[in-house]
Amino acid sequence: MISRQSLIVAHWEFLRFFKWKQQLISYLLMICVMGAIALWSYFTDESRQTYRIAVPVELTLANTEQFQFQRPSINVADQLAQMRTDDSWHAVVTEDQGQLIVHTLTGKKWLTQLESVLQQHYRQQTAEKMGLNAEQLNQLEQPVTISTRYLDESYKGKDTPEKMIAMGALILLFVGLTTAFGQVLTSITGEKQQRVTEQLTAIVTPQQWMDGKVLGHSFSALKAMLTSGLVMLLVYTVVSVFAKKAVDLSWLNISVVLWLIPFALLGIVLCASFMGAIAASIDDPNNSGKSAVMMITWLPMVFTFLVIDSPAGWGMTLLSFIPLTSFAAMPVKMAMVTVPWWQPVLSVLLLLATVYWMRRVAGRVFLRGMQMYGKEPSWGEIVRWALSNKTE
Amino acid sequence: MQLIVTAISKAYASVQAVKHVSFQINSGEIFALLGPNGAGKSSIIRMLVGMTQPDSGSIMVSYQQQHFDHVPRRLLGYLPEDRGLYPDKSIEKNLLYLARLHGLSKASAMQEMAHWLAVFDLTERRHDELKQLSKGNQQKVQLIAAVLHQPALVILDEPFSGLDPINQEKVVLFLQQLKAKGMTVILSAHQMAMVEKLADHMLLMAQGQVVLAGTLQQIQQQSQPLRQMKVGFNSSVTVSQLQQLPAINGVEPLQANHFMLTLADEVGVADCLKQLMPLAELTQVEMQTADLHQLYLAAMTKQQPEVAA
Repeated sequence: MISRQSLIVAHWEFLRFFKWKQQLISYLLMICVMGAIALWSYFTDESRQTYRIAVPVELTLANTEQFQFQRPSINVADQLAQMRTDDSWHAVVTEDQGQLIVHTLTGKKWLTQLESVLQQHYRQQTAEKMGLNAEQLNQLEQPVTISTRYLDESYKGKDTPEKMIAMGALILLFVGLTTAFGQVLTSITGEKQQRVTEQLTAIVTPQQWMDGKVLGHSFSALKAMLTSGLVMLLVYTVVSVFAKKAVDLSWLNISVVLWLIPFALLGIVLCASFMGAIAASIDDPNNSGKSAVMMITWLPMVFTFLVIDSPAGWGMTLLSFIPLTSFAAMPVKMAMVTVPWWQPVLSVLLLLATVYWMRRVAGRVFLRGMQMYGKEPSWGEIVRWALSNKTE
Repeated sequence: MQLIVTAISKAYASVQAVKHVSFQINSGEIFALLGPNGAGKSSIIRMLVGMTQPDSGSIMVSYQQQHFDHVPRRLLGYLPEDRGLYPDKSIEKNLLYLARLHGLSKASAMQEMAHWLAVFDLTERRHDELKQLSKGNQQKVQLIAAVLHQPALVILDEPFSGLDPINQEKVVLFLQQLKAKGMTVILSAHQMAMVEKLADHMLLMAQGQVVLAGTLQQIQQQSQPLRQMKVGFNSSVTVSQLQQLPAINGVEPLQANHFMLTLADEVGVADCLKQLMPLAELTQVEMQTADLHQLYLAAMTKQQPEVAA
């Protein structure tokens, strides 16, 4: 199905937009940037210090890890003077007609935490005045817990790690399609403007050329998805480390990840073929409105996102079988509900057939578009070419 | 290989680009397609390359006892009129990519590349990006790209355009080398002096039709209006005396009693001499042949007076 020439074109196209050195440098830069952010937030974290707070004698506040509350015998004016001159206090709290006032030198992040401690203290005091004990106050402060039990055992639940995987899959597909969009448009229209097309089509058939382009840019898109996926995992790991939590990847459903690969690959190839057909009909990208049509390929993700909270509903089921949307919908559905084995298999087969048809359409549109010599074809002509059988 | 084109026609919308054009090219020949812009040369080339199909007529190729109704891509090397390669890639990468697409192994591609880069003095610059080269050097790279895989048929659309006279001469040598290697070459060009040196056969076209065809000699014989004769007399003969003769169409005085005469249409040399002899004794009679440039202009004047003017 794929000729040697197509593979040579694919290899060339992939490497045209892929430079090892630059790629490695960008990875290193990314790690450096994340490291710098982590270090910066660690060293500027004020919550790890202890702050001395002068409070009125009548305020019976318990010390916390962050705040030491002291009740100095000197008057407030002297406390404020001490704060200005020798850093005896980080803040001085006074009370005026039932209102607390925090005096400090300048704005600091820890002041928010201090306010929170003071508010908690005041809530407790108010509760005591109302005759509520600590337990009653605690109950009052707790939100009502409403849990939903799903009778459908295939549904894995709302706001679960599975939904995170589904969202991640959609984000990655979006990244992949955006990459393919840019590269396919640049590559095909650029080649036309650089006058390479006529030379190449004397060597390879329009179908071989289009197959190579689509494959090359699909691999670039997959590479971008892989990079983004790794970055997501890296960020998760770094955040876990700095939050002093164990790195837990048990939520990563390997079965869904493995299914995502064929769906993503076929989906990207399908969309890249469609983009290739549109790009092949564009003569001058600066003066053509056709490139906007290529954004249609983002619709499957948008439609899927809109029904993500009803993974077993008719909307998601429909999307997961229609080949134009199944590459986005089926992995999401699989992440959130258990589906019978034949569903993803059928979905992949339908998608495969559509990919085959779409690549033929792209080849035909390219062949006929090339013969227009500077004249951009109308939509009617493109549709006619797409439905014709001429490939040479 | 042998290429036989029979009565091909091609129309784009309401424009008839090529009308019933026929020609034959034998193995190892250099064949020139000549004509003004819009004559239909590039349309013929695009049909030969397979980018478009003729509306009528046929293209037949015979190669090593095999027969095809088109030019197979594997036999073809092509330099398009609208040319360009990847400006951000080096000469070597560009050429290697095209050679690999033509089916060459990396080793053979590198070997061929080394040969042709040396021919065009580009060996030292093989790692330079194409955009760093002058237009002339880019043209040379494009020429190399067309022949790297040793095709049986090389089609070159305007190979001399954009080149200075020195590089034009290099291209002449390049084409002679191709011929020596047994490749059949079709070229379209406006540089008549170059074509005259190279072409075994040529086809002069105007408005999609064949005006003249054959070898240079055959074309010279076909262009009756341009037959010129240098004559000398032993005594005084005036221009007006000569202009009165029905066999003479034009008179250009040279040195004393010597003239360049242009013969009238359909008048034989013998008839002309019969009319000249009564004037004085002839001391010199020399038939003049027009060069390709003159033939081309004369043919175009006949076909498209406004273009030639």
